[in-house]
Amino acid sequence: MRLFKKAQEAEIPTASMADIAFLLIIFFMVTAVFSATKGLDFALPKQESNPPNVESEEAVFIKVAPDGSLTVDCKPMELTGILDYLEPKLTRDAEKPVILYTDAYAPYQAMISVYDVLGRAETERGFKVRNISVPTQTEVAEYIDIFGYNPFESQCEG
Amino acid sequence: MRLSRQAQARALIPTASMADIAFLLIIFFMVTTVHELDRTSVNLPVAKIREEAEKGAAIVVLAKEELGGTASLVYKFSDGNEVSQVVSGPDDINLEASRATYVDPEKQFILKADGTVHYEKIDELLDAMRRGGVQRVLLLTAQRVEERSP
Repeated sequence: MRLFKKAQEAEIPTASMADIAFLLIIFFMVTAVFSATKGLDFALPKQESNPPNVESEEAVFIKVAPDGSLTVDCKPMELTGILDYLEPKLTRDAEKPVILYTDAYAPYQAMISVYDVLGRAETERGFKVRNISVPTQTEVAEYIDIFGYNPFESQCEG
Repeated sequence: MRLSRQAQARALIPTASMADIAFLLIIFFMVTTVHELDRTSVNLPVAKIREEAEKGAAIVVLAKEELGGTASLVYKFSDGNEVSQVVSGPDDINLEASRATYVDPEKQFILKADGTVHYEKIDELLDAMRRGGVQRVLLLTAQRVEERSP
């Protein structure tokens, strides 16, 4: 009697392939995050023993109050009015410093909003605010040591 | 005449392309996934102008945390290579910034701070970084969405 042996087919088992694939998908879906790495470029001044003294009348002085309201050269102003005010001044003198003084109790968002507007001057109006000075509390304290008062707080008095 | 019964068609969901789709998705997620050095949830301030941060920039985090009805501030630092760690405050940031700028004086620092904190806290951090030799800071912001007029 002749027996017929059925030849076995060579096969790679792929039944679990989909399981592995979906496991990997779920892993990447869970670990994936939307990266947020965009913001406003901000240059900190170098530590100098003799910082340049900017005369206040030569600069535009923007103050952010604790409630987030603004005064520009001691005049109350809306955020949208800043560029209108700066345009003629900075067109005449592109290097004119703009002092952005934020009250210690003002929200960070209020300062960012002003900084954002100053940064948009070039794209929206065609002039650039090159010289933005943001005095820190340490610098303010140094001023108080020298003059005996806070020049940024008393700027608009009298 | 007796007709033989026709063989019934078996109900079958075609799954041959399942693996292709799955691997396509895997490759998509592998390519798009980034390893975030800091995943702290922060209510970022919004701005229209935004610039991309450099790769390898150090990260300074100032987040608000609500614990039992009282809000407290949490400071974190990452040198750009390792995941951010909680630090005690601006003095630690100053120390870490000094270390980072000693190695690379041009290193960019990303300030990821909550938009609702008082500016004095931001000022403290900026001052601590400045004292640590930092010159380039990126104030991390979220995209301002234009409101549509009705």
